[in-house]
Amino acid sequence: MILSVMIFTPFLAGVFLYLFRAKINFVKASVLLVQVFIASLAIDVYMGFEPSAILQFESNIPWIPFYGINYHIGLDGVSLSLFMMVALIMPLVSIALYDRAFVGLWINSLIVQSGIMGALLAQDLMLFYLFWETMLLPIFFMIGIYGYGKKEFFSMKFTIYTIFGSLAMLISILYLIISFKVQHGFYTFDIVSLKDTILTHQEQIFIFLGFALAFGIKIPIFPFHTWLADTYKSSPTIAIVILSALMSKLGIYAIYRILFGIFASISLELAHLVISLGLASMLYFALLAINSIDLKKIFAYSSASHLSLILVGLFIHNSTSLLGVSLFIASHALSTAAIFIMIAILYNRRESINLDSLGGIVQSAPLFSLFFAFFALSIVGIPFTSGFVSEILIILGSFEYSSIVGFVATTSILASIVFILNVIKKTLFGKKQEDFKDLQSKELLSLIPLALLILALGIFPNTFLSKVKPTVDNYSNSSKAHYAK
Amino acid sequence: MLNNIEIVLLFILAISISLVVFSTKLSLQKAYNISLITLSASFVFLLQDLGEIFSTLIQKDIFNSMLIYDSFSLLFILIFLLSSAFLLLISKEYIFDHKYFKVESLIFILFSVWGMILLSMSNDLIVAFIALEIASMSIYVLVGINKHKLKSSEAFFKYLVLGSFMGAFYLLGLTLVFIQSGTTSFIDLAKYISTHEIEQLYLVIVGGLLIMATLMFKISAFPFYAWSLDIYDGAPLPITSLMAGIFKISIFSVILRLFLSDYISLKDLYDPLIILASIFTMLAGSFLAISQDSIKRMLAASSIVHSGYLLIALSSIATIGDSASYSLVFYLIAYFLSSLGSLGVLSMINSKDDVTYESLKGFASTNPFLALMMSIFMLSLAGFPSSIGFLGKFYIFSSAIESSLTPLAILGALTAFISIYYYFKVIASMYFHKNISVLLTYSNIKSYIIIFIISFLVLYLGIGSSYFTYLPGTNDLTEFSKSIINSL
Repeated sequence: MILSVMIFTPFLAGVFLYLFRAKINFVKASVLLVQVFIASLAIDVYMGFEPSAILQFESNIPWIPFYGINYHIGLDGVSLSLFMMVALIMPLVSIALYDRAFVGLWINSLIVQSGIMGALLAQDLMLFYLFWETMLLPIFFMIGIYGYGKKEFFSMKFTIYTIFGSLAMLISILYLIISFKVQHGFYTFDIVSLKDTILTHQEQIFIFLGFALAFGIKIPIFPFHTWLADTYKSSPTIAIVILSALMSKLGIYAIYRILFGIFASISLELAHLVISLGLASMLYFALLAINSIDLKKIFAYSSASHLSLILVGLFIHNSTSLLGVSLFIASHALSTAAIFIMIAILYNRRESINLDSLGGIVQSAPLFSLFFAFFALSIVGIPFTSGFVSEILIILGSFEYSSIVGFVATTSILASIVFILNVIKKTLFGKKQEDFKDLQSKELLSLIPLALLILALGIFPNTFLSKVKPTVDNYSNSSKAHYAK
Repeated sequence: MLNNIEIVLLFILAISISLVVFSTKLSLQKAYNISLITLSASFVFLLQDLGEIFSTLIQKDIFNSMLIYDSFSLLFILIFLLSSAFLLLISKEYIFDHKYFKVESLIFILFSVWGMILLSMSNDLIVAFIALEIASMSIYVLVGINKHKLKSSEAFFKYLVLGSFMGAFYLLGLTLVFIQSGTTSFIDLAKYISTHEIEQLYLVIVGGLLIMATLMFKISAFPFYAWSLDIYDGAPLPITSLMAGIFKISIFSVILRLFLSDYISLKDLYDPLIILASIFTMLAGSFLAISQDSIKRMLAASSIVHSGYLLIALSSIATIGDSASYSLVFYLIAYFLSSLGSLGVLSMINSKDDVTYESLKGFASTNPFLALMMSIFMLSLAGFPSSIGFLGKFYIFSSAIESSLTPLAILGALTAFISIYYYFKVIASMYFHKNISVLLTYSNIKSYIIIFIISFLVLYLGIGSSYFTYLPGTNDLTEFSKSIINSL
């Protein structure tokens, strides 16, 4: 029940605010209020989350019983980290960007929160698909109405690109449930039950590819990344934070939940292909980031590069790497959200995010420089940050899998150090330009919790990892069994 | 004793005829009110037949088994009555604002609805033809009522000539079928086909093909789709809505009845043809729809694509029967709601020129309500989840996969993907741009309410849960579609 409240409160509040044409100050205050409310509920849920592999806080209500479609939601170790991030990051972003005066932007950010939460908690493929698609609409409006540059075009491009993937997934879902129906005589969309579908090898590969296309576009992995840079460049900050910190992780989550949940054996069979693709796109995105001079683009590519690392960790699929993946989802969400907020603050003051025209900030704004450097470095994972622990775990896992994979993964992390250091150097240091206003208390109010969370997860990762350990063990056992065969 | 449907048929007929008689003395306002009341009273009156599955022959002594009244036809009759009443309500201002709408136009609308009702009940090839012609003839005239506009007259002649020409094919086909089988009744025909070998059925097969050609023409399927764009475009908006939405559904009602009784045993012969028609209808419609500037022409072209989706379901009927037919019925309901809504919103825009993507720019800031409603209908037509259009597509694609026509489902998904482009472009035009020209809209509160009701239905039937047991939701609609198929 509590999860349903968390899914639908933002949506209903958004609709309410839209219909009553509320004034901007009221809208901002209510959005923040709703998001803080959701965050407090999430903390409550986290405290009550038992460290075990089963689904918790479950509710299951028939929706279209005729087709075996249920409103089935629940939380387990797979979704826990992203669940917490959605609930915690959204209010912090709202605090940081509290001066944005567009009603639509705020309302859409509420609705997209509902969509992400729903997709994250859905245990029924149909429900998942519903939320997966609907969360696209608010983003479509956010970019198209409040974006920059050729926003109409890029908004359409992003939407059409993503829906292409979704339709491939739809066909896969339908094929899967029809096969299940033919074999078992009844329809079901339940992810756990669909595991029992018997498919030929070829069918499995096609269905796998249909799902993978949808998730790959969302993350994005090479070669489905062509929407990425333009979309980030023309999006308003809230949309970028949602896209990079939350929605891209949803692609990872969906692979974890659906591909490994339903097609475990074919996923492990194709793992070496995905891992090579992931490693290649890691390096490729890192190189793109090194060669860009637009801050938004650099961090868009750096985020894509790290997401590929998460993907690699996911497909390595042993217990160490899966722990790393769970933690990395949280840590990367925190770091990217923070860094894009910093970029927005920077853009507000300098009207430019071009590396060549920046510089000399450290002299006039020490606090800003401290936080910028901290968040930038937390992305590469310096010790004491959560990125460090998770990268170490994934790399350890990849060495367990194969030393070559481990070696390449380590190299590409090194590559990301190159451009992060370059960014810090060119943004903060250099000749002093005009005065740069330091961080305000309101901005600190959102950045300090983000920094503390990153440190907390970096110094005491076990409090979190112990909660997901049983789930991870459950999944990695299946992979052990597969490789033993 | 007359049963309900007979009373309704006689009632509408009597009203129409008396309207004809008094047409010179009545004002348009009065005629409008009378037609509206007739349609909605008949709708409410027939609602009491809902519930149990039933099937009765109409006046068996006179008509033998030519007309059949069952749950299946009841659903369609209710759709015709409801949507034509909605149509009149939504386009009230349009009708009164355009001087070419006369009392006669309303009479023709009543007659066409009457024809469609008969069509959905017909159980005999000859009756089906007569009903089809009653409806078509009325619509031919309605297309051309704006006689001062060249495009409208062109559309009228095109439709009249082509329609009558294709009607002749039907008659020829009917003759061939009758020569061989000696019957025109659906039931006897089905018996005849199932008891004879293919070698003895050549004339029936050829005749069936000819009849199919006429029906394909009416639903603007490949290769008979070329007329539809100009004619939908030339007709006044409410009439386009009547043709593209309501009339098409009535054709599908007779196709469904014909196919489920007669066609099943000839499936191997006809199926490849329908599959081909479906593929090319979807492709041709998408191709036409992308390249349009005017919203009305785009909706007309996209209605061809929707016929293509419906043909997917039709081609899977042969293999899996029931589940394909109720997916078809469900899709018809979804399509009728969304097309009625979208064309309705268009007809509420008071503009001399065609509404184009360009002139729609900034519509959301001048008229946020209609823009929101239009977006909902566009999403539903595009098959975006959380709308009824999505569930319709979902059922159709799954029935295609179930009858192992997976490539057809994939193609359907591809055309749905293409449709995202032209439907989302409407939303993008309305929301993403500053207004350049302010579009005036009619401000009739009743039309707004009807548009709101339709959009509510589009969303509610898309996500409505059976959790609220007192409100029939999606599941009930699905089960209902299934039950009416069983009444056939």
